[in-house]
Amino acid sequence: MQMGFYFDQTRCTGCNACRVACKDWNDVPEGPEAWMQVKYLEQGETPDVFVAYMLQTCFHCESPICAEACPADAITKRPEDGIVLVDRNACLGKEECGAKCLKACPYQAPQFGPEPGAKMGKCVFCTDRLAQGKMPSCVEACYTRALDFGPLDELQKKYGQAVEAPSFKYSKRTKPSVVMNPKNPK
Amino acid sequence: MENPQQSQDVRIVRATSAFDCGGRCPLLLHVKDNKIIRIEGDDHPDSDRQLRTCLRCRAYRKYVHHPERLMHPQKRVGAKGEGRFERISWDEALSILSGKLKETKDKFGPESILLMTGGGYLASLHSGSMAAPRLLNQFGGYTTHYGNISSEGAVWASLVQYGSVMVGHSREDMLNSKLIILWGWDPARMISGSNTMHHLLKAKENGAKVISVEPRYTDTAAAVADKWIPIYPGTDTAMMAAMAYVMITENLQDQAFLNKYTIGFDKFKEYILGDEDGQAKTPQWAEAVCGVPAETIADLAREYAAAKPAALMDCQGPARSAMGEQYCRFAATLSAMTGNVGKPGGSACGGLMGIPIGHMFRMSAIPPGKNPVEMTGPKIKGTLDIRDRVIKRIHINKLWEAILEGKAGGFPADVKMAWSMCNNYLNQIGNANKGDKALKKLPFFAVNEIFMTAQARYADLLLPVTTAAERSDLTYAWPSGPYYTFVNRAIEPLGECKSDLEICEMLSDYLGVKDYRLGAKEEDILKHMVDQNPVTSKYVTDFDKFKNDGIHRIELKEPYIAFRKQIEDPENNPFDTPSGKIEIYSQRVADINSPKCPPVPKYIPTFEDRNDPLFEKYPLQLLTPHPRNRVHSEMYKVEWLREAEPHVLWIHPSDAEARGVSNGDDIQAFNDRGRVAVQAFVTQRIKPGVVCMFEGAWYQPDENGVDRGACANTLTKDDYSGGGAAVMNTSLVQVAKA
Repeated sequence: MQMGFYFDQTRCTGCNACRVACKDWNDVPEGPEAWMQVKYLEQGETPDVFVAYMLQTCFHCESPICAEACPADAITKRPEDGIVLVDRNACLGKEECGAKCLKACPYQAPQFGPEPGAKMGKCVFCTDRLAQGKMPSCVEACYTRALDFGPLDELQKKYGQAVEAPSFKYSKRTKPSVVMNPKNPK
Repeated sequence: MENPQQSQDVRIVRATSAFDCGGRCPLLLHVKDNKIIRIEGDDHPDSDRQLRTCLRCRAYRKYVHHPERLMHPQKRVGAKGEGRFERISWDEALSILSGKLKETKDKFGPESILLMTGGGYLASLHSGSMAAPRLLNQFGGYTTHYGNISSEGAVWASLVQYGSVMVGHSREDMLNSKLIILWGWDPARMISGSNTMHHLLKAKENGAKVISVEPRYTDTAAAVADKWIPIYPGTDTAMMAAMAYVMITENLQDQAFLNKYTIGFDKFKEYILGDEDGQAKTPQWAEAVCGVPAETIADLAREYAAAKPAALMDCQGPARSAMGEQYCRFAATLSAMTGNVGKPGGSACGGLMGIPIGHMFRMSAIPPGKNPVEMTGPKIKGTLDIRDRVIKRIHINKLWEAILEGKAGGFPADVKMAWSMCNNYLNQIGNANKGDKALKKLPFFAVNEIFMTAQARYADLLLPVTTAAERSDLTYAWPSGPYYTFVNRAIEPLGECKSDLEICEMLSDYLGVKDYRLGAKEEDILKHMVDQNPVTSKYVTDFDKFKNDGIHRIELKEPYIAFRKQIEDPENNPFDTPSGKIEIYSQRVADINSPKCPPVPKYIPTFEDRNDPLFEKYPLQLLTPHPRNRVHSEMYKVEWLREAEPHVLWIHPSDAEARGVSNGDDIQAFNDRGRVAVQAFVTQRIKPGVVCMFEGAWYQPDENGVDRGACANTLTKDDYSGGGAAVMNTSLVQVAKA
């Protein structure tokens, strides 16, 4: 089984509740390290403007290239649900290895704090919450219900097969576990 | 990772915040060792019905436990406004404050004491807005302000048109609309009631067409609108007048509805057709005023008249302007012309959007008693004449002028001291630089505060206040439910913090006020409030369950529709107006006899519009909407929120280019009132000629008087409209590269 996210880009208002909820639940300090971020896209000219938001987080790829890139084997994929986790004790720190995971990832998912020797942190799919039968914090926080989660095959049954969207390119190399409802310009 | 749910020492506390925020959302606070360590949202079993909190309360613990919280009483040791203080004891603090109160009353009379309350936190028991009036009334009286900075235009308009402020529909009713016009309404940002955006998205997915009329392409519009119609600020009524013109000349109005339920349409028609002033309010005329193509105006008029039902959603933003109430009256008039009042899928307009179930306007409160100072004033209950209201009180947007000018300037008192709580008015009412002068001139200023805000820096005495997480209380949905919420105390007060109520109780001893204390336990008082409030008592019958759940939800069989009874059975349910009808023409307003208050809604040119000679010097109109990542100026210090959205000024590429400004540049926005330093956000999402800066960033003047915090109110005018609306969206500015 592979866990995945569903993102309905047509419902996202860019509010950042997911970003803050993620920091709260996972106790990520203020600063550049944010496991869930919201990217902004603006196109067109007044009054025909197109605005779309896109999540920037870990999509728990089928073939996590970050894990291959990590010289310390600190990144592993859980066999039971495909969730990609980092062992921060094993991580060498961003200067030591030059943040190879971040360089490899097409989605800027690996995150580092500002301090020297910062260890990599990223979305852990709220495994502790899943264990309690709860939604990941970002999903629970989304007040427009633009986010859902679950086994990838179930998400595909429920929401279809779309994987491309404005501001997001599906990597055939890493195969992110995501289903999109893209928002396209009129 | 430790599993906190099963950890022995983590408690889950059910609460809400008490912010003046636009929602009211259930929170599950995880508490360990008197610290909130995590937050979860509403756990209603049906996730679609959860009242999900926004990013702000997701960061609630970082606000409650912020290292910059004020923890002890302090007194000023530097110059006024410098922000230098030293710690003192509660005994010394209360001795100072009680001494100043007595001295001021004895020397100058109680009217020289200014009490500044506000909406910084809204709850029944512990908020200063409830506690302090009771104390000072028993002490001998005081002077205070009239109105709030937010809703006066909409309130006045709703009272004129309908005789009621309950002009909203419960949000799921939007699913009954075929056409929804967002006229200056951005619930994605200002929330407008928990779950509103969710329902609006559902309405859109249900097939409703959505059109946004706004100077900005809002996040709401970006998510739901089929079309954006950019308009100049302050000209909404010109466009609405032209829509009325198209409907009248093409005979599209619902004349049967107008005949049956309204009064004065003929007089309105005379104005629209130009019989009154020689100017027909044609789309071509409106185009020159509001910058919307005539054809676009005519199309919208026809579409709105044809789509049944259609919901015109006006709100309070455009009403916060120099003719704000005219916009809400106009919207309500268009809604009557299209027969959409009192009907599912329609809307009554009026800007307030509340329903009478769980409404913040009907919250329980500590009985305040009567203010002796106001006993000799005119009867103001129900008056629409703002001049009556400012005989004994100071209009909220004139506080600084009142302090500076006193009776000589026509204000009710010479203010010799002020006591402030639940507000950061220096930051949140017009003309911050005038506020700086006023607070420096004020002989004595005591401030109850949670943080060292822009205004707190000017205090002579600082009293540290608890947050809503440190007390039990009743909170109310913003603007309305249908539900009621209970705040269970999550943690014991931090440092030496006390609630405003506790401060007032202690102070009553120092003042020798005998009967101030309510004389019962907190929980018993809250239960009594629930039982005694005619609205709550009808619904909340099991107090213990209410407290335990933190929320009591009302199951509505069908959506609540404002004025449904008045429309379905007018014989037995007249409107609460003198005529018993919707008053398109208001004799009460005519009797005020003020050019600023026409008896039918009109487009009126105002100061600092595009025709003001000042426009040559300051050719950009400034909008100051609600911030998303703060509650006005509350939560300003919370880093998780600051990093989610940097503070910027929106400017159109054509205006930016003309000034050599690129995206991200340091710029300054200025006018005769002040100058702010801020970053430019160059975007196509704003009408050329308009700029936008979200309110609530803290005023921080440097040695040259440049506001480095970029508080929107450094640029706004301290004035009000004919209906009493603060003019926060009527400012001309210029922008230049820093």
